[in-house]
Formats: sequence, C-alpha cells, structure tokens
Amino acid sequence: MAAESQMEQLIVENVMKELAKRGLMGNGSPNQVEMPEKAAGAQPKTEPYRESGDDPLTIPDITGIWVPNPENLEAIKVMKQATPARIGLYRAGTRPKTGAMLKFMADHAQAMDAVFLDVSEEFLQKMNLFLVDTMAQDKEEFLKRPELGRKLSREGEKMIKEKCEKNPQVQILVVDGLSSSSIEANVPDVLPALTQGLTAAGIKVGTPFFIKNGRVGVQDHVGKLLNAEVVVSLIGERPGLVTADSMSAYIIYSPDENTVEADRTVFSNIHQGGTPPAEAGAHLVDVIKRILQAKASGMKLNQ
Amino acid sequence: MSKTNDTNYQTVISVGIDIGTTTTQIVVSRITIRNTAPGSSVPRMEITDKEVVHRSKIYFTPLRDHQIIDADAVAQIVLREYREAGLTPEQVDTGAVIVTGETAKKENAKNIVESMAGLAGDFVVATAGVNLESVLAGKGSGAAAHSREKHSVTLNIDIGGGTSNIGVFKNGQVIETACLNIGGHLIEVERQGDRITYISEPARAILRECGLSWQTGDMPGLDELKSVARLMAKCIIETITTENVSSITGELLMTPPLRLDYRVDSIMFSGGVADFIYGDFRPVSVSQVSEYGDIGPLLGWAVKEELSAAGIVPEKPGETIRATVIGAGAHSVDISGSTITVDKAVLPIRNVTVVSPFVKGVPESPGEITTAVHRAAQRIISDGSAQFVAFAMAGPAEVSFAAVQELAQGIAQGAADFISRDKPLIVVVEKDCAKILGQCLKIILGDKGEVVCIDQIVVGEGDYIDIGKPIMGGRVVPVVVKTLVFENTGARKD
Repeated sequence: MAAESQMEQLIVENVMKELAKRGLMGNGSPNQVEMPEKAAGAQPKTEPYRESGDDPLTIPDITGIWVPNPENLEAIKVMKQATPARIGLYRAGTRPKTGAMLKFMADHAQAMDAVFLDVSEEFLQKMNLFLVDTMAQDKEEFLKRPELGRKLSREGEKMIKEKCEKNPQVQILVVDGLSSSSIEANVPDVLPALTQGLTAAGIKVGTPFFIKNGRVGVQDHVGKLLNAEVVVSLIGERPGLVTADSMSAYIIYSPDENTVEADRTVFSNIHQGGTPPAEAGAHLVDVIKRILQAKASGMKLNQ
Repeated sequence: MSKTNDTNYQTVISVGIDIGTTTTQIVVSRITIRNTAPGSSVPRMEITDKEVVHRSKIYFTPLRDHQIIDADAVAQIVLREYREAGLTPEQVDTGAVIVTGETAKKENAKNIVESMAGLAGDFVVATAGVNLESVLAGKGSGAAAHSREKHSVTLNIDIGGGTSNIGVFKNGQVIETACLNIGGHLIEVERQGDRITYISEPARAILRECGLSWQTGDMPGLDELKSVARLMAKCIIETITTENVSSITGELLMTPPLRLDYRVDSIMFSGGVADFIYGDFRPVSVSQVSEYGDIGPLLGWAVKEELSAAGIVPEKPGETIRATVIGAGAHSVDISGSTITVDKAVLPIRNVTVVSPFVKGVPESPGEITTAVHRAAQRIISDGSAQFVAFAMAGPAEVSFAAVQELAQGIAQGAADFISRDKPLIVVVEKDCAKILGQCLKIILGDKGEVVCIDQIVVGEGDYIDIGKPIMGGRVVPVVVKTLVFENTGARKD
C-alpha cells in the first residue's frame, strides 16, 4: 500500500507540473519538465504523440537486446520474454543509452496523457454510452479532491434517473478514473463480452453509461440510486511506464452506507499485454454469477 | 485428489508406469497446482511442484517368451506397488502407462496398455511412441530442467534394454527427438554365464557389420563381445554428433536422424545402461558382464570409451534408470489455461484426434472459416477412425470480441454435422481466449451440444490428447498430449 500511495503521489506531482506548464495553474516549475517534453517530440499539446501522424520522431523500439557480445544471449532472450521491463538495453557510461532514455520519456508522456485526456465524444457515441459528471468540475479538481469523484453531480443524478432502467440485477458503469486511454482501448471488447454473457445467463442488465472524472466509490452512489443488486465499474487504472492502457473491474454487491473498500471484488491488469479484454469480459460473467448467488462481494465472497 | 478450503492450491496424484524391454517400473508423484496470480488478477494456475512420493522396485518385465508380455504378471506388479504406496486406483488422478523400447513393438503391447488403463485409475492414459518416450526420458532425467536453468541446449540419451531415446531440449522445451534401435538387452546372455540365449533382429544387423554370425547357444569371447558393444556405442555417438550417419546407424534409426543445426551445450545419459557410463565398471569376463542376463554393462562401458575417444564429457543426470518412468509419472500431464469453457459432464475425454483446420491463420470471413472447419472434420471422420475430434488453432490474429464472435460462428457452422449429444464440440486454442470463444460457441449452439474450449495448449494435426476432469474449482483441466509437435515437423503456426 505504501508503495502504491507513493506512486500515486509521484503521479499527482507530475500531473501538477504538467498543469502548471499548460498554464492551467498559477505556479510550478516548468523548467523541470521541459526537457522530457522536448525529447519525446514537441507536438500539439492537446494531442498524444502516438496520434499525430506527421510526427517526424520515431519512438525507439526497446524489444531488442543491446548488450554487445553478451556472455549468454539465450539467457537475456528468456528474461526479456518473461518481462516487459527495460532490461538488456546496455548503457552509455553510467547512464542509459539515448534510445532507452527517449523511450522512457515517451512512455512517461503517454502515462501523463492517459490521465489528462478525456474519453472522446466519438467513442462514447460509438459505444452508445451517455456521459454523466461527478461533483469534480474539471481534471484539476478531480485530481486534487478525490472525494468529489465519488459523488455524482446533481444533473448527473437526474440524467441517470431519467435514462436508466431501475432495479437491474447488474448495472455496468464505464468510469475514466486515471486513464482515459485504457477505456478507449479495452471497453469495446470487455463490454460486449460481458453483456452477451450476462444476458445469455438470463441476468437482467441495466442501461450502461459513462462517468467522467469518476473514482471507484461512485459505484456506491449509482447502486443506491438505481437500486442495483450488483454494480460493475470498468475503470481506468493509474497508468504506469509499461502500459498506460490497463483497466480494472470493480464489482460491488448491493452497496449501502456501510459499504467499505473490502466489500469490492476487483480484477486488475485488463489490457492486451495482461488479461486480454474480451477474455476478461467472459471471466467477469462467471464472477458476477457467483456474486449474485452468494449475495456478497469482496472479502465476504471469499469467506 | 486432496481438497482444501484454500481454492488457490490443490494436489493431484499422478502415476507413471513404464513397461520396458528389460524392466518394468512404477512411480507415484504428487503434483501441486497453485494460483500464482496476485489476488486482484484473473487467476493463473500453474504446476508449482512435482514430488515423487513412491518408487517401485525395478522389476524385470515379465514375458511369456520373447514375443509376449505376461499381462497378468504385470497387473500383479501394479497391484502390489499400489498396496506398497497405500493407494487405490480411485485415488489416482492422472498419469501415463507407457510401453517402451522393444516391448512396444510386440503385438500384444496394445492390449497390455488397455488392460492397464482400467487397473491404474480413472485418468491414467495408455500411450506409447518413440518420440514421446524420448521427451519423457529427458524430462525425467533432469535434462529439460538443466537446459532451462543454464539457458542452453541439453541433449539426453536414454539407453534402455531395447532402444536409445534421444531428446534435445532448449530452455526447457523439447526441440528435437530421435530413436535408435540399440540397447543393452538386444543380446541376452545366460545370467552370470557366457552362453547367448537370445539375439534380437537389430542385434543381428550389428553382428553382420562386425562379421560375426552367432547363434543362440554360442559362447563368444569377451573381446568379441566388446567389439560388438563398441560398434553399438559408435552408432550412438554418431547419432548425436552428425546428421550424415553411416549406413548401419541409418538402418538402426527408428526415426529420421537429428538435424543438429544448433550447438549442443551438454550431453546427458539416462536409462539402465547410463549407470555403467557414469560408474567405474571395467569388463573382466563374460560371466561378470552378464550379471543382468544381457550386455547392458558392457554397452555402458563401451559408450564411456567412445565418449572419451570423441573428447565428450557428459553431464550427470538427476535420474538414470528411472528417468522414463518419472517422466511418465510426473511430466506427462499439463494443465490448460485458467480461463476456459467446459461442460463438466462430458469430461474426461480420451483419445481425442486433433485437426488443424487453418493452414495460415484464421481466415478473414466466417464463410471461409466454416469451409475450412468442415473440410478438416470430414477428413478425419470419413475414415472412421476418430471418435472425438478437437479443432486446434492459434486463435484470431487479434483477440477482439468481434473477431472471436466471427470465429465462433464459423466453427459452429463448420462443425455442426459432427456435434451431437454424446459428441461435444472440442476446440483447443493457443491464445488466451477460450473463455470468450467458449461463451460465444455455447450461445450459438444452445442445446445442440456441449462445448469444451480450452487454451494455452499447443497441439497440431495428428496429435492425440486426453482431457481430464476439471480441477481447482473447475478452473483448469489436466491435458495429456500423447504425440508431440516439434519445430521441425509440426511447425504449424497459424
């Protein structure tokens, strides 16, 4: 837990710096982040580098082995197959090689983008998800005030009451959390697999929708509002340097005011390099069936 | 099978029975399967430990004569060893009976294997075949583990009574096998005497090459016997060092020669003869050599001599004479991926014939998928040999929901004619997508038939597999692949 909160703190700090640089905050130290940004390729600030087609800079490929005349090449190959970590990339003196450094910075930039960018409107339209806000007014407030991301806005509450089917057995939410890119990368495969499996099992699935600037706890609010038996949140994970596209599924049985974090069942690491999203969707179907049967989730389910 | 409240852990009892040319052995092992994924991830079941808990005595394989195995006597041995180990057939979860070496060629081997399968528990499979034997011996001897630990290429030669089985391992995976019809029991000599009691066919080829024409009852001198053993040893060394083998070695090879288009880092010997390669046995007389009623000790000595002449220093194995049986008992079973779709009622299923419908990956359109699946199924079903068929494939190029859905539609339509109440649709995919593919298939099939869809198992056209009852709370199934795909022959990458 300590390591995780440290990591979160680090990301929040970087995010703050980024905000400062983008002129969204009054102060900060832009000089510290200028270098990485340049190295990763200067580009229009609102777009991630991977989407800018005319970008002259190619991101170095670090899947190879850069060690000259290795003692045991086979061993390095096996190790590289076992992990996406930055190993076998040799060094320049005591420092990383330029390529390795550029890739590191690019991955860092991608992680930042995952937090900052919003899930696109085209995507929501394509997935047929309507958008609901939380109490957090914008990204900055969302990041600084976690509790606001756990409550729906007034308008949000109203919209949900109007548009959603009441008393579903399973209510599915898509929540941006800390990675909008993970939502766009995984939801198109998880959501249909999940809905198909649940429907085939004769389970009544509610109207899915998207929550912007939302955190895990917002599922309790939605659950109570719609009187859902089970709420499943597909939520973007805090991005890392291996992937910015990892998504989690948090599942809660009948949330109320006594709900604590240990009541949630969670499956993390849903992305192409982890549990493939379509497979994860089908796996969630089994888990939800068990939760409905046991009438419990989280630690209570394991007892 | 032991059940604990902890769903993250389960042990399985696996039995290996090896009925060889000279010896018959049994081992009982306990295989531990654990969920190695962190609590917040989708479970990932892995075999984490294999412990041999009972080793039988080493019995001489009971034969009625040189052609017929004494099935009753073998059954008695198995029953006695079960008692020794405190086991009943019902307690056995998995494992393999293998009939190896010269014995496998004998006409009644098939019957033995079948009667043994009933005796040895619900999911002990009956299997034979020189390639599988080579792999099991190399796993049992420790050669596979050695290659994995050293990230190197380790070649194992298991010299038994009838055959020398060669398995080459790279990073723990088998890359090539071969089998040579040379073993210590091909010429039988009166125990602690010097009269020849039996000469097998392959031994006659060796004798012919040596210019000798012995008959049963002859009493050869030690020097003559040595020269025969030296030629046998030469053939063995030749097999593992060159692709261009001499005509006598070629004649005795039961498989194509090794390609050897890679560097071999270590060579390891197992099998009964290996004890005489690593020991300090020196032949002094025919009656000393014939301690076991054959020329095994002399062959071991000859291999040692030939190795030193070739400047090869062999690596020590973990097991010698028990390598194959340990391989059969502890290393024959694998487990599927941890997110699969199986209708429990139809398992276990034995002797499933594998077909690979797609030569170059999954086709683009559902129509093409249907045609390919239908054609593949017809090819197998039409000759009437296969009762159960599994469709094997790598999986969609990209595991998206849409691609999986299309694949499922294509497979279900193509296989429709072959699915019935007692014939489930069996699909084996390499990529981690069996849960979603199975879900789609079940929805499409409805009550037309059951579905068994498993992943993370690599099999190819012509393989036979056994699929066991689900374990670990229904999450995984044990799978035994009875013939194996190799890089050279079965390079089926679709």
